[in-house]
Amino acid sequence: MAGVELTGVRKIYPNGAEAVRGVDMTIEHGEFIVFVGPSGCGKSTLLRMVAGLESITEGEISIDGRIINEVSPADRDVAMVFQNYALYPHMTVRGNMSYGLKNRGNSKAEIHEKVEEAAKMLRIHDFLDRRPQQLSGGQRQRVAMGRAIVREPKVFLFDEPLSNLDAKLRVQMRIEIKRLQRRMDVTSIYVTHDQTEAMTLADRLAVINDGRIEQMGAPLELYNNPTTLFVASFIGSPQINLVPVVFDGDKLISGDIALSGFKDLPTDADLVLGIRPDDLTQNGEGEVSLRVDLVEQHGAENLIYGALLGAAAEEGEETEICIKVDQQTLPKIDATLKLGVNKSRALVFRKDNGQRVL
Amino acid sequence: MTTPQALRSGYNHLVLILGVIFLVGPIALTFLSSTHTSATLARDSLQFSWGGHFLDNYSRVLTLEAGFTDSVTPLAMLKNSLIVGLGVATLTTGFSILSAYAVVFFRFKIAALVFWLVLVTLLFPLEARFVNTFEVAASLGLINTHAGIILPAVAAAIGTFFYRQYFLTLPEELLEAAIMDGTGPVKFFIDFIIPLSWPRTAAIFIISFMIGWNQYLWPLMISTDDSLYTLVRGIRLIGPTSGPGMALVIITIIPPFLLLLAFQKWAFNTLHVEQK
Ligand SMILES: Nc1ncnc2c1ncn2[C@@H]1O[C@H](COP(=O)(O)OP(=O)(O)OP(=O)(O)O)[C@@H](O)[C@H]1O
Ligand SMILES: [Mg+2]
Repeated sequence: MAGVELTGVRKIYPNGAEAVRGVDMTIEHGEFIVFVGPSGCGKSTLLRMVAGLESITEGEISIDGRIINEVSPADRDVAMVFQNYALYPHMTVRGNMSYGLKNRGNSKAEIHEKVEEAAKMLRIHDFLDRRPQQLSGGQRQRVAMGRAIVREPKVFLFDEPLSNLDAKLRVQMRIEIKRLQRRMDVTSIYVTHDQTEAMTLADRLAVINDGRIEQMGAPLELYNNPTTLFVASFIGSPQINLVPVVFDGDKLISGDIALSGFKDLPTDADLVLGIRPDDLTQNGEGEVSLRVDLVEQHGAENLIYGALLGAAAEEGEETEICIKVDQQTLPKIDATLKLGVNKSRALVFRKDNGQRVL
Repeated sequence: MTTPQALRSGYNHLVLILGVIFLVGPIALTFLSSTHTSATLARDSLQFSWGGHFLDNYSRVLTLEAGFTDSVTPLAMLKNSLIVGLGVATLTTGFSILSAYAVVFFRFKIAALVFWLVLVTLLFPLEARFVNTFEVAASLGLINTHAGIILPAVAAAIGTFFYRQYFLTLPEELLEAAIMDGTGPVKFFIDFIIPLSWPRTAAIFIISFMIGWNQYLWPLMISTDDSLYTLVRGIRLIGPTSGPGMALVIITIIPPFLLLLAFQKWAFNTLHVEQK
């Protein structure tokens, strides 16, 4: 049975802004879905419509088969974790976690048991009698999680819950959230614009662009088989290399560069070639060359940024590309590297509508 | 060590000490004068020294029985003052928090207009609308009642403003989290607004208590009956420039001062926190 189902969902704010432009989505029970997309694309709006914090202009949302368009937020059986935690400052941690249960008429003993259990799971047992102000950011985040967990909702909603934490804690909490979700087996929707978070947490990712689902699928599926230029450039870090090209019936041409081995591409349109940094390798007989501008050392590997020599220059700017090499490879600035292209993994898109053609 | 910082701190203290002298001076002067005979005060004006008639003056005030039927006693006046002070404070605080809650959290279309209308009442203090207010009070049969003294002083826009500014600082997500936890408008008011606003409430309560307590002109107009004399009016009755009058001034200061002491932790915390 479907956990959450969205059909033709649209949102037009009273000021006329159209934030969500028709979204259809089926989320299976227990699935971890992540919404990613650039700022302002409507991720939060969509999530808040599921939560009941925004009205649904058009379309339907159902949870476990029940249409919830007109159901009040408290009766939807969903719990939400906010970016700024939104803990109740005048209540203790225990009070924060108990409050929703109390309102639902749980007995004292029941509440006590649930709070204790969640506190143990989240390792916030020692702070149960403290106020939120007396906790660190990570601890507050845990309490916010705890407040959602004790309710045992059908759906967890997260709106950028980790973006107020420092990098290390973010990674730690990310793992913890995933583990908790696995263990509790609760359908979850998670909004983020951090694509590492998106890739690592999601069972399935929904890439949202300007109020529409651009593509939805497993993280690797989106990484390997993006259907549009937008998805290709949004998923993957470092970003995919994009080179403007045309097809002459036989080769992909960009300025002085000609890459053979391509077939059945449109010859009448401007195209964009996309190659992931991992698919460019240093190789003496390489077909393309890179002039090194910058070497970033990331520990296990280095990223080399530079200009793709001979490529068609757009408005006088050189085409910047990036390749991934091992730790030992440290070329000098302005050195020229010959690169081989892994053509079996090359992606080609139409420039005009961004659709993938190869 | 005379670093610039030490100098600055010394200077700050000097300013604060001068401020304290400026504020406490009149009270000290009144207190010292209240230990002199009325004759001394009439002849030589206020006194800066201890006069030795402390017991005389204070016992005269405390055993006072004035008015047509001797019904104006210190205890009766204190009772009236407390009824008026507490009445004004309770009602002002209650109406302020409710009206601010309404204009901030219930986004009805004319909320902004309502708020500005409330604020405009600041421009019409009670003194500026005595005649009209008197007519209204009279037609409601409020002459010579406590309610008549209390009600006109209750419309204090400053309380609404004070609460509103605070409510606006509460993050939107607090309300949203509460809604998802099953809170309705009444529950949110009781479980969140009231406990979160305690310090504000303490401050507004004290301020409006003072307003009620210190009322003079309005009670004078609306009540002719001896049984409604407040302490502040009693001062006038005894003669504000006499020794016992000075004593009564001091006595009148004490209850609001005690209230302030009781609430100071909360009230001053607000002011302190807000500065941060
Ligand atoms: N209350 C509102 N009234 C009017 N327009 C709004 C409102 N909230 C959001 N919008 C608009 O709707 C669009 C989507 O907003 P939304 O908050 O869903 O973006 P988002 O994807 O969550 O972005 P971010 O990553 O920055 O949080 C934006 O263009 C925004 O300006
Ligand atoms: Mg958002």
